Amino acid sequence: MTCWGKLNRVTPYKQKIIAVCLSLGALLVLSACQESADVQNTANDYSIYRHSMDGAPASLDPAQASSIYANFLAVNLYDTLYRYKYLARPYQLEPNLAEGLPEVSSDGLIYTIRIKPGAHFIDDPAFPEGKGRAVSARDFVYSIKRQFDVKTRAQGAWLWQDRIVGLEDWKEEGSDYDQDVSGLKALNDRTLQIQLISPFPQLTHTLAQGYSAIVPREAVEFYGKEFAIHPVGSGPYRLQAFDSARAVLIRNADFREEPLSLEAEGYNPESHAHLGLELLEGRSPPFTNRIEIEFISEDAARWNSFIAGELDFIKVPVSQFDQVLQQRDPPRLESSLDEDYHLLANLESGFVHTDFNMDDRRIGYHPDKTQNARNRALRCAITKAFDWQKRNEVFYYGIGQVFPGIIPPAAPEFDPGQDMGPVTRDLEGARTLLTDFGWNAENLPVLEYGFPASVTERQMFEQFRSFMGEVGYPQEKIRPLTFATYGDYARAYLNREVMLTTIGWTMDYPDAENTIQLFYGPNSSPGSNSANYNNNEFNRLYRASSGIQPSPMRTTMYRNMNRIVLDDCATISGVSRRLILLWDKSKVMLPDRSFLGGFFFRFVDSVQHAEEGNEAEQ
Amino acid sequence: MQYLLQKMVHGLLLILGVTLVSFILMVWFGPDQTYTLIGKNATPEQIEDIGRQLGYDQPFALRYANYVGDLFTFNLGASNSSGEQVSSILRKTIPVTLALMIPGFVLGNLLGIALGLTAAQHRGRWADRLITGLSVTGMSVSFLVIIIVLQVLLSTPYGLNLFPVRGWQVGDPLSYFRYVTVPTLSLIFVTLGYNTRFYRAVFVEESGKDHIRTARAYGASSASILWKHVLKNSLVPITTRVMFSIPLVVISGSLLIESYFGIPGVGKVTFDAITNGDQPVLKAVVGLTAVAFVLIQVLTDFVYKLVDPRIT
Repeated sequence: MTCWGKLNRVTPYKQKIIAVCLSLGALLVLSACQESADVQNTANDYSIYRHSMDGAPASLDPAQASSIYANFLAVNLYDTLYRYKYLARPYQLEPNLAEGLPEVSSDGLIYTIRIKPGAHFIDDPAFPEGKGRAVSARDFVYSIKRQFDVKTRAQGAWLWQDRIVGLEDWKEEGSDYDQDVSGLKALNDRTLQIQLISPFPQLTHTLAQGYSAIVPREAVEFYGKEFAIHPVGSGPYRLQAFDSARAVLIRNADFREEPLSLEAEGYNPESHAHLGLELLEGRSPPFTNRIEIEFISEDAARWNSFIAGELDFIKVPVSQFDQVLQQRDPPRLESSLDEDYHLLANLESGFVHTDFNMDDRRIGYHPDKTQNARNRALRCAITKAFDWQKRNEVFYYGIGQVFPGIIPPAAPEFDPGQDMGPVTRDLEGARTLLTDFGWNAENLPVLEYGFPASVTERQMFEQFRSFMGEVGYPQEKIRPLTFATYGDYARAYLNREVMLTTIGWTMDYPDAENTIQLFYGPNSSPGSNSANYNNNEFNRLYRASSGIQPSPMRTTMYRNMNRIVLDDCATISGVSRRLILLWDKSKVMLPDRSFLGGFFFRFVDSVQHAEEGNEAEQ
Repeated sequence: MQYLLQKMVHGLLLILGVTLVSFILMVWFGPDQTYTLIGKNATPEQIEDIGRQLGYDQPFALRYANYVGDLFTFNLGASNSSGEQVSSILRKTIPVTLALMIPGFVLGNLLGIALGLTAAQHRGRWADRLITGLSVTGMSVSFLVIIIVLQVLLSTPYGLNLFPVRGWQVGDPLSYFRYVTVPTLSLIFVTLGYNTRFYRAVFVEESGKDHIRTARAYGASSASILWKHVLKNSLVPITTRVMFSIPLVVISGSLLIESYFGIPGVGKVTFDAITNGDQPVLKAVVGLTAVAFVLIQVLTDFVYKLVDPRIT
């Protein structure tokens, strides 16, 4: 009997059940389909750039742009007054929505900034008749006020806290947006004025961050909490889709015309000539019609997806370095990959360091002078016993840059000629210190080394324990303090409960003040000084340098502060990781994966598209 | 009517129990989201403000009462991370997870039944040993390894390069087939061993019963015994297993698959909520899973009656 014959034997009741099941199945597939606009066959579309990130932003509200991922999205969906030049390294500021660099009063307290005409928010139902309106100076004032409104749950207020006249009062008085802030004014539609409490040379840098991106009040009020997933900006891109796995941005066709000048962006033929960037000269960004950002935290999945041609860009997982690089220093790509991909070995704008909790009397400050000196000796012995070369070799493929102190190589104030003694292993020196100050296996304190639970973190702990074992520190006295999530870990060290805290810090702006403030006494936990370091001379120097514009004198002060921290052995620091970035040669671009570099999306183009664009212009 | 009333009371108690236990775990052992939401250099006042907004300052009993009240009125609130309404998140993600998981779930069970039947029929012989051996092997291999190996074999230039490595750009049945195939194969591979072992045990037990011996004595063919007697009489444990797997398949079963294949389903959202301590999302998922269990329990009783009219 045929199948059809068998089916005919099924009772009408069962036929109905089968029909209902099939209909439900079809309905399910249809409901799981994404909106057609978001679904395109993108495999060979050259006007699409497919980017990968190793994490995902939870919110697209600029007020919550605290992660690299969220910041990337914020600076592409919204406008900031300033941005960093596309190609210049060290990073240099460039006006974005601002017409020029700020006019600063002679006392350094009043900043006047004019914004460019013609910038418009994208069309959105939040506006009357759905038509995006012009961006005005008042929008900037509103956006900064939001950072100080408790209801926003903003994460960027620390940048302007105790800096702008009247902002704290405005917050204390209930955050009424119709109430003016004396130090934050829109003089007219296109001019704004910021009055500072004391000089703050880094102010312009803060205006290049996602936190300072300009949002329209109508949209915030229209969407309420869901504004975080309905971005309404005036940036080069607008959001088309966003979920836990990806975000899709499409070109904002109304973005202002600003022809690209490679020279102004810091083009250097020696380092950039092979990238084909010349094709972009004179054309107005954004160049790519559609950017698909895949959030892939799993290294294997990210790599497989890249190698299968589903992505144009990847930050190569460390586990793949052996396959990708034929030479470490300077990093060189395997010949099989060299034909298809560009390589950039990018030193991160930040560093990894392990801090002692100076608030813990077992290892940190002690009211008794003798014990205080013994504790310092113990910390110094631990830093001497730490083997940075091995740490770099095992966990950073030997291509990270080890440096002494708290001014990382990416900071302009970094001293390349400084003494490497503090990061050179000295087992004999460590043992001598312990003996001289009366430390032995019996009286050494239990060291609690905190970390969020992960295989790599555990391995780092075990390596630390083995380093200490070599100077006679009993293994059982070095204990792991694990936390299920990073949030739990943060809660513990912000509450001063962790003796040794390892943290990676990514610089918010290219000024060593951003890392030096990590050791400024008043910033102690729950502030960013998780070492709870408090040295009067350091604090005095920090305060004295905080109002000084970049200059040799300020650099000297920064370096002195670096030395003080090293002398006190408050931290085991540090290493700047080198990121291996690969991208498809069909794309014309110079990628960046730092807080400062998210602006590069607008300059990404494909070779084919760029060539066609140039031919059309000719 | 009395039966329904009894079931409702039992269901209500189950929901209260599950929600209470999970709420205790969330509140006392879950991550404190305050420290994920604060910015750098936060002051103690700012930390306190965020904690207050998240409701951490309220007494436990009041928080739990609010939770249960919200659950029964389907007022699921908004995610603390993204601000999106939880109902909207679930509306978008649950269909994706179902579309992702159902093929693997159905095929994994059908194949498990077929292999279980074959093994039971050839009990003690090489076919049985082969199937049992392969099942144990399948059960021993890590899900993660299976996913990565299948990705490399089927989706990259190192292998056949036939399917996308990851993503969910599903717009028509063909694209659905492209995106669902490798995750489905992974799911089948990982569940088949467990299913086969379970169904084999059920069928072996059924094969030893008196009515099967009677059927054999009457000269019924082995195919007829297998299909009409063994399989049909095993439908009650099969139904139990299948029905009670459904809520788990929707939530926890899809977690690794969704992460590794970049699929925006409810498993990934739940995992993120657990690690971030996003309680509104977590409370909704836990609460709705408990409700789903209760509904499935009721539904299972009806299905029992369908497959075995002797059950009253």
